Amino acid sequence: MPNYTDHKKYEDYEFEDFLSDEFFVQWVKSPSENNLHFWEKWLISNPQKREMVTEAARFVRSIQYKENFEFTDEAYIEVFENILKADNHFRQLDTISPTKTSTTHTKKVNSIFPVRGIAATLLVLFCLWAQYEAFNFKIDPEPIAEIVLVKRSNPAGQKSIIDLPDGSRIHLNANSEIEFPKEFSDEIRLVSLKGEAFFEVQKENRPFLVESGNAKIRVLGTSFNVKQKTNEPLYVALVTGKVRVNADNGDQVTLNPDEMLVMEEGGKFYKTSFDPLGVTGWKDNYLIFKNTKFSEVIDKLENWYGVKIAIKGHLDPEWTYSGVYKDEMLENVLRGICMTSGMNYKIDKKQITITNPK
Amino acid sequence: MNNSPKEQSNCTFIPVKHLETIKVFEKKSDCDIWNAFNKGDEMAFNYLYRTYVHKLFQFGSQYSRDSSLVKDIIQNLFIYLRKKRGSLGEVTNIKGYLFKSIQREIIRNIKSNTSFEGFEENFRESHFQLEVSPEVSFIKNESEDERKIQVQQALNQLTTKQRKAILLFYEEELSYKEIAEIMNFSEVKTARKLIYRALSSLKEFIKPTSY
Repeated sequence: MPNYTDHKKYEDYEFEDFLSDEFFVQWVKSPSENNLHFWEKWLISNPQKREMVTEAARFVRSIQYKENFEFTDEAYIEVFENILKADNHFRQLDTISPTKTSTTHTKKVNSIFPVRGIAATLLVLFCLWAQYEAFNFKIDPEPIAEIVLVKRSNPAGQKSIIDLPDGSRIHLNANSEIEFPKEFSDEIRLVSLKGEAFFEVQKENRPFLVESGNAKIRVLGTSFNVKQKTNEPLYVALVTGKVRVNADNGDQVTLNPDEMLVMEEGGKFYKTSFDPLGVTGWKDNYLIFKNTKFSEVIDKLENWYGVKIAIKGHLDPEWTYSGVYKDEMLENVLRGICMTSGMNYKIDKKQITITNPK
Repeated sequence: MNNSPKEQSNCTFIPVKHLETIKVFEKKSDCDIWNAFNKGDEMAFNYLYRTYVHKLFQFGSQYSRDSSLVKDIIQNLFIYLRKKRGSLGEVTNIKGYLFKSIQREIIRNIKSNTSFEGFEENFRESHFQLEVSPEVSFIKNESEDERKIQVQQALNQLTTKQRKAILLFYEEELSYKEIAEIMNFSEVKTARKLIYRALSSLKEFIKPTSY
């Protein structure tokens, strides 16, 4: 007989013990206050098990149905409607039979209270009419509400925070655009994105879907960053929760926290880890350069501050720049960049000139 | 830097009514939700439908590729439950209960349409296939890639029962007690053993070599 986990202490657990432990699986799959309080403390006091736990958690999360059968929106609506209508049908039968018996009861007292007979008849007629109305009301297709789309866009140099009707929040980066219905449907929360945004999605049952380029990102409640610029790969970086990305060609990838999906235009994709500050810092006003090439530094500055930058003199293609700025004025950033590289800058309103004297 | 432009102020909405319903029910226990449904609370029914219909379809489809059959069975189950409102028994785990019901109906249906032997045969081979999601074992280098192939091969060695139990345990997050009920084991520990053995047979492939 193998050792079953019942009486073993967590600190003596082996790999397969974690894998078959209900409380462990619950923590990995649905972290909540009910399990975090234990596992976080436990990991701190048992650092030697950390690697094993991480690997076990990874395995638990990786197991999935090989074949996914999607219950389409059409089926969802059709089945729901059929269930309600079947119900209506039953209720109609129910109301007719008791009224029939009640008319036979009233016959005995008809002579004394003829009014009751009339009242009963009226009641029956009313019931039938009400049923008819109710039934008809259900059958009549409701006029399809016009979907009012809201579009928000930021020019270079401007970021914004947008609160959605479901309580979700979008940090929209500069040079980006987002479109969503003024009111979400009962089935789905759909937004489409051009550019870059950080999403904090309110958890609820309607899936939240982000359309970006050729991909659809599907989530329930979670926070993640999406970046899609023309001629660049799509980047989806997950901070908390779980997201699923569906590409046009049918490929599907699930992301766990701290993972980033990079999807190239041809549809090729891979996953990497990412530096949270580097990827999502922009929403908290961190301007970050990490071995960034000169051309990218210029693009970033133009985008961030909404300015135009002209270059004079020769530039070393090998040159890169690293630095972190928070809530910094353009001039201070330019001073920082130029100081380390021996270049000069000149600011003329929205027009910047950077000169390399060498 | 402008972090709160005009757009934001135009963009306050009144939350849709059902959102609150979902939130109300999410905090309740399965017992309470089921009781509310039994008493005829339409919001409780809406909640059940929204929460479980996709899962039921995915689970049911493991038995039959006939999507309209699975759809009909789900529909009939809900119609039946609504009809029985007022006299439904206690349910402590709704998902387990619904899964068991759907499974019973689908198997009954398939059995009536095909020979039992044919079904059993089929059951062994094609149902409840599982896989390691493409990103796992993070394909950083070739040996990781090879390991992933090994894990997938090891998964393919599992019996249908083992695969089903593992999916119910991980993907559906059901407890051993519910798994035992769905799989018709009289004792909870049978489910525990089944999963433990399956995982033990996998461990040499999934366990990193460092320990």
